[in-house]
Amino acid sequence: MQVYLPIAEMSVDALLLLGIGFGVGWLSGLFGVGGGFLLTPLLILIGIPSPVAVASGANQTLGASVSGLIAQWRRDNVDLRMGLVLLAGGFVGSALGVQLFAALRRAGQVDVAVSFFYVVVLGTVGMLMVRESVRAIIRRRRTGVSAARTGEHTWLHGLPFKMRFRKSRLYISIVPPLLVGFGIGVLSAVMGVGGGFMLVPAMIYLLGMPTSVVIGTSLFQVVFVSANVTLLQAWQVGSVDIVLTLLLLAGGVAGAQFGASMGTKLRGEETRALLGLLVLSVALGLAWDLIRAPENLFAIGLAR
Amino acid sequence: MRWAALLIALALALPARAQQPATTPLLTADLSTNQVEITTGFTGASVIVFGATENLIGPQTGEDVVVLAWGPSQATVVRRKVNVLGFWVNGPAATFPEIPGFYAIAATRPVWEVLPEEVRRSARLGLEALPLRAVGAQAPAFRAALLDLKQQDGRWQEYAAPVSVAGGRLFSTRVSFPDTVQTGDYRVEVLLVRDRRIVARQELFLRVDRVGTAAWIANIARTAPLLYGLGCIVLAALAGWLGSVLFRRN
Repeated sequence: MQVYLPIAEMSVDALLLLGIGFGVGWLSGLFGVGGGFLLTPLLILIGIPSPVAVASGANQTLGASVSGLIAQWRRDNVDLRMGLVLLAGGFVGSALGVQLFAALRRAGQVDVAVSFFYVVVLGTVGMLMVRESVRAIIRRRRTGVSAARTGEHTWLHGLPFKMRFRKSRLYISIVPPLLVGFGIGVLSAVMGVGGGFMLVPAMIYLLGMPTSVVIGTSLFQVVFVSANVTLLQAWQVGSVDIVLTLLLLAGGVAGAQFGASMGTKLRGEETRALLGLLVLSVALGLAWDLIRAPENLFAIGLAR
Repeated sequence: MRWAALLIALALALPARAQQPATTPLLTADLSTNQVEITTGFTGASVIVFGATENLIGPQTGEDVVVLAWGPSQATVVRRKVNVLGFWVNGPAATFPEIPGFYAIAATRPVWEVLPEEVRRSARLGLEALPLRAVGAQAPAFRAALLDLKQQDGRWQEYAAPVSVAGGRLFSTRVSFPDTVQTGDYRVEVLLVRDRRIVARQELFLRVDRVGTAAWIANIARTAPLLYGLGCIVLAALAGWLGSVLFRRN
């Protein structure tokens, strides 16, 4: 069944979009991330123009994360104070990111820049996650216990403006979470992702938050930052396609619930290793597209 | 020589005029519809151009029918990828500020067989006759790539559909618009060609418009982007919340 997307100005198979939504939703429920990092490249792959894919990807991430956030909120897994600090950085970052995106669009480099961002960010994050989680699994096999990560003192603890985050059992400076929120805000605007796949490892490894509150708190940040990106993209670039968003969501929310109930059966390290592998494979796929000789050296687009 | 040419031209033109009483025009044509509607289920559309001529069409009489369809002009940029440090990025670009977003030509015989080059050029008959002036990179490869890519996505068509003739005088052809067709005013020209000249011409118009939900959404997104953005947020959040209620698995 074909459906016409009014902003993308093209028609696509509605079942294909529902299927993509379901698959991505399932993975996002499983790993507690929005899934935008899979969705945007997939949309570009099926021929949706990059600006529409990025903007609608952010919009879908918002919807997909809302249900996750509600579920985590009920289980009391959200550190609200940490979430608000991250969000403050995220708002500033995403506002700047949308400006950067608009500038890239004017320069005609959106497609390449989006791919490039994906390769660098996903490649780095994926590699770090796989390496760390494999180490943790090996350590656990040897000693029989999961390694405790809290309580380590690093240079991060020497920074000023300390605040107590009770639910995360942390007393740290607000500078690192602000910076983390800012960076992810920028990337979420340029890549059309909520940033959960980066936020989760950043919270665990950089901020040292306990795994139990990491997913809920990251969803909190993701929901509000992707709302901000949606608004700014609609306003300044005009590329949010609500029909596309809703079709993806219809499949996505169903998939997410299945994924979430499965995710509770997985151990933290295994989940992180799998997520890392997934992130890495998306990065490799996109890198291949950038490196291999293009079939057609030329491409056309509308001049603005 | 010049006198002879003039005499021949007169001799050819006179009977054509004599044969044309006010009641029977040389050519008459119409469209199956003058409105293409882009609905939520739009997957492209085609419009039939049909009509009749006074004389028989065909190689025996030397009369040919040419049908042209034009879309609104659309500034288009062609970019060439270049390899920078092993990565393929967008390099030099050529912008074509004044080219038709849609162009289709159909004819009983290809126009290069029936019309001299200067006529083809002035009437813009055939993709070769389109003036493609570029700003920026000037290499002929950009022009070639533009012709190639526009034809690939179906927005420029050369003899994609035949002009079929029934009973020697009735002709019809089909102009197909892809799903990516832009909205706006389109112009269809029907030309009658004889003796390497255009002897009659009729212009027809049609409009491509979004209607229904698609029109409504595109309109709000354009005229009230802030409101549209807020609407997208609320709708997505609602859909997400509703989904979590509907599909809850405890």
